[in-house]
Amino acid sequence: MLIPAIWVAALVFASELTLLSIGFTLTYLTAKIPNFAHGTYAGIGIYVSYTFAKIFNLSPYFGFPLAFLIGGLFSVIVYKIVIGALTNMGGGAIVLTISTLAIQIFLTGLIQIYAYWLRDRYSTYAMSFLLKQNDFKIGDFPGIFVVSLSLTIVSVISLHYMLTKTNIGVAMRATAEDPELASVLGININQIQLFSWFLTGGLACLAGAMIPLWFMSTPQSGAMIITSIMAGSLLGGFDSIYGAVVGGALVGLSEIMLTTWGQAIIGVWVGEYRPLVPMIFLVAVLLVEPDGLHGAYTKFVASETGSNLLKSIGLQKEEY
Amino acid sequence: MLQDVALGLLTSGVAVSGTARLIVDIAMYFGLFVIVAMALNFQYGNAGIPNMGCAVQVIMGGFTVSGITVRLMFTMAEAAGTELLPWANDFDWVYNNPSNVSTMNEFIGPRMSFGVSMLLFSLAVSLILGAVIGWVIALPAIRLRATYLMIVLITMADAAQIFGRNIPAISGGTLGMFIPNIYEWYPGDRTVLSAVITLLIGIISFFLFRTMLNSPYGRLMRAIRENEVTVGSVGKNVVGIRRNILMFASGITALSGTLLAFYFSYVVEANYQRAFWTYWPWLMLILGGPGNNAGTFLGCALIVAMRRVIIVNKWFLQAVFFFPIAYFESILLGVLLIAVIMFRPNGLIPEKLLYIPGVNYTKMVNEEVKIDWRNAPKARGGSSGIGGIMSAFGGGKKEEES
Repeated sequence: MLIPAIWVAALVFASELTLLSIGFTLTYLTAKIPNFAHGTYAGIGIYVSYTFAKIFNLSPYFGFPLAFLIGGLFSVIVYKIVIGALTNMGGGAIVLTISTLAIQIFLTGLIQIYAYWLRDRYSTYAMSFLLKQNDFKIGDFPGIFVVSLSLTIVSVISLHYMLTKTNIGVAMRATAEDPELASVLGININQIQLFSWFLTGGLACLAGAMIPLWFMSTPQSGAMIITSIMAGSLLGGFDSIYGAVVGGALVGLSEIMLTTWGQAIIGVWVGEYRPLVPMIFLVAVLLVEPDGLHGAYTKFVASETGSNLLKSIGLQKEEY
Repeated sequence: MLQDVALGLLTSGVAVSGTARLIVDIAMYFGLFVIVAMALNFQYGNAGIPNMGCAVQVIMGGFTVSGITVRLMFTMAEAAGTELLPWANDFDWVYNNPSNVSTMNEFIGPRMSFGVSMLLFSLAVSLILGAVIGWVIALPAIRLRATYLMIVLITMADAAQIFGRNIPAISGGTLGMFIPNIYEWYPGDRTVLSAVITLLIGIISFFLFRTMLNSPYGRLMRAIRENEVTVGSVGKNVVGIRRNILMFASGITALSGTLLAFYFSYVVEANYQRAFWTYWPWLMLILGGPGNNAGTFLGCALIVAMRRVIIVNKWFLQAVFFFPIAYFESILLGVLLIAVIMFRPNGLIPEKLLYIPGVNYTKMVNEEVKIDWRNAPKARGGSSGIGGIMSAFGGGKKEEES
């Protein structure tokens, strides 16, 4: 194999985390709240994959479109029943955030019950599993490596195309910027909100469906991954999708690579502290530059040396 | 039934059982949760600080007992001439823990003053350590948006658990640690005594919070909750005040962890999960009504009673469900939280106005609502009208116009 197994793991995790961070940031842009339930959509995706692999005896990859749809559906339901209603009632940011926490608790409970039901009904152990043997191989590479990387790259490029070139993407950006002004211009905010919640939920569930093909999964893993998602999104700056791409990839890579190098250099016990890596990122970003990479980039471009440097390599400063 | 509880309190050797045991259990958990929920009410209900890290502060109370008090007890007992198995390194610390603890229990038996002083010592240390940990975890985000603070605090609970799980010197790692029974000198049922002490500390902290709320500082807190820019513009250090409130409430929250450790006589990090010590107190607070201690008491009593009754009767309820009833807990918690937020945003008991000595605040505010203040006469005596409110927010500053 050309690439060591640990780099495969790191890249797979980074691409999954990138997709999740993009969704988290999109929600933050449209609803202005951190959606704590975002990781739990990934938990739903995990069980879609499991159902396809173990119950239907198909390749889990066939479940990906369904995972996208189911995640979107859950997300839309959450928006329709809870978030939208609370926003109309005039709930503040803190109340909305608490309600997303409640949704996370509720959905985690549902996933646990589903896993238990699978065990009861089909006698398969759905509480803790790995689907590596259901994967295919392309040459020396495991299929998930190719699929996750290409899916993420395709999603990022098509998201970029959608947000900048299509009408609905421009409408989404306008709604995120100023909902009232957007509605004056004839944009149906409600539909745009629904669409963006569908998109974020679908992306999260799609990313979740890829997780069990390489990583150990339990009903709790969706809820556990939220720290990494928030760290990636915060590292990119909470209000920039391109920042989220870079941030998610960086946090995902470093979570696995730093732990591995730490185990090699310091000792095996470092592995236990893996969940601390995204927390260190969170704290460091908030202490050093609360606006994340996007804020740092904006500051750099605005400064004298930064704009000179950009001119010297032939780039124009973006006008906001 | 009630006589049984009283008997457990007074007579020796009578262990409370049956329904009386359930009452003691509910009282104990009510005391523990009411301390956490009141501190939360102090922070979120009155000052608008969304402290999602209650679990960290509670775990700090538990770690204080297992990491500091037990070591102090062993040292003192050895100084008094009691033979203990070695406990210096990590392995001995965990491996010899049960036998050392039973030796300690014999040591505490005839020495009431030792047990009481150890309880007071742990409470004092956990108060300080809780305040310190409150300062540390608030450090990255206290200056920033409230949502950032929530994100940082909510992740810190996991961090505290990871440290507790992997460093055996703190609380014995995954195995947990037994704690010497500091109520060993007491002839009756120790759970009853423990519940009484917890309720007592709950009452003390209630009066502490009430006094603080009714002081000028309390008005300052409410002013920060309503509009921090205004408070900053009249020369108050908003970030400093927020930090002080968070530290004070964190210290009080840590007391509850200490009391829990002595109640169980056992500390393990898994007992201090985020779901248990952060989400349930938040539900109690929101159900009862933020910004109001009576509501917190009511919410706490309702939720604790419901939870304990479900747990005690779970074998009867299990027949109804096709899945283990433990999973039902998170469904219940989520649904209740969303339902309360959506259908009763102000909680069961709405918030009351603060008490200001010498000023009929309620009447003043009601007048303000009725009168169009642009046309109202400027001087309405004393400290009423818009100037009165401003002086109230300013924390006792003299009015300029009078």
